[in-house]
Amino acid sequence: MATSSPPDVLQAQMKTWLLATGRQDSAAFRALYDAASAKLFGFALRILIKHELAEEVLQESFVSIWNNAASYQSQLSAPMTWMATIVRNKAFDLLRRADHAVEIDSEGFDQEVMQALEDPAATPIEALQMSGDAKALAHCFATIEGQHRQVIALAFYHDLSHSEVANQMALPIGTVKTWIRRGLERLKNCLSKGTL
Amino acid sequence: MNIRNKPALRDKLAAEYSLGTLKGAARRRFEGWLHNDADLRRLTAQWQARLMPLGEFASDVKPPQHVWRTIEQRLRLKPAMASVAPWRRWLSDSLDFWRNLGLVSTAMASVLVAVLLFKSLAPITPEIAYVATLTDEKSQAVMLVTADTAHRNMAVKFVLPQAVAADKSLELWAVPKSGAPRSLGLVGERQVATLHRDDNGAAPRDVFGLVPQDQVATVKLPEHATGPDVALLAVTLEPKGGSPNPNGPTGPILYKGPWIKI
Repeated sequence: MATSSPPDVLQAQMKTWLLATGRQDSAAFRALYDAASAKLFGFALRILIKHELAEEVLQESFVSIWNNAASYQSQLSAPMTWMATIVRNKAFDLLRRADHAVEIDSEGFDQEVMQALEDPAATPIEALQMSGDAKALAHCFATIEGQHRQVIALAFYHDLSHSEVANQMALPIGTVKTWIRRGLERLKNCLSKGTL
Repeated sequence: MNIRNKPALRDKLAAEYSLGTLKGAARRRFEGWLHNDADLRRLTAQWQARLMPLGEFASDVKPPQHVWRTIEQRLRLKPAMASVAPWRRWLSDSLDFWRNLGLVSTAMASVLVAVLLFKSLAPITPEIAYVATLTDEKSQAVMLVTADTAHRNMAVKFVLPQAVAADKSLELWAVPKSGAPRSLGLVGERQVATLHRDDNGAAPRDVFGLVPQDQVATVKLPEHATGPDVALLAVTLEPKGGSPNPNGPTGPILYKGPWIKI
């Protein structure tokens, strides 16, 4: 992601490019790729671990972005949200199709992000390279308990069911269900209050 | 099951659907409801907007370049031309053009024309090592250029005489596969100007000699005119005296053709 422009200016810019991509504007599509591909590739890589799989998914995703950009509704979702949803679906499709076993990383997030969540005073969330939406979410994530955070991250990144999360964490399934439900509720409430 | 009047359940299901923990039959049933329930779609979009930024908690990794090239090929997108130096564009355009035409037959035709044209003109039989037929945008042959590396000379012949405005010059370039085009001098004038500009601090260029349009002109072969990296010869329209830019042409490309080693 370009470091020169503040993330939310970039989000607005991406919205323009995505809408133009919907009109088959290949220069806008290229600009969108340049702005978003590192973020989306990082995401795909986090899910799939293996470089060649993540490359395939990024490719598939951008072909799909080009083909479906005309149906993007800017009032319904931010461009990053829309594109990340495509990447995530493609990544999970690939895993199911090829029956790839992926090593599950129970930490969930990158070290730097983990530190920012654990101790926002020491590692400011504001300094992380992410959009305003993601920073707001990080602030809220920082307020929930570590293990609740972890079960949500596991489910999100690895497409796990409640029982799979329970196995992974060696916890009773009822506990996992409760933690996820409470964690999501807290996130929702926290996000609806707006940024801190 | 009717979930229309159960707001808490609707919200819980939309959240679990977005997170991914809603699986199997329950997931398919939920997707069925989504079709006919705009409010449920709105709730789901809200949850996706809340949760999807989790994807950004992974740090950026720049994908390798071939990923973009594959996307471009699969979607048959033209490369973003605006960001490419103009001579790169001629190179790729004309290479595509010649590839499509069939390089072998074209090269053979060029050789034949070259032999016919130059046969009676040189006092000693030239050993033609390179040949280029430069064509205009309508693919009409305008100029023929040959190089004789044994005798170190180059011959230029206009097949179709061209009118050039008094304040303009035609400049001939060797276009390498990478790097900037190299000037080979001005053509199509009564007196071909000698370009003595500094080319990025390089030595002044060779005297090019006379290349009027109405005859075959044989001139000393510039050192940088041949070599395995020179893909193409091209003529641009420049201000009188040649391109003011020491690093390459400034004007539009008028004629071009692959520089074929034979």
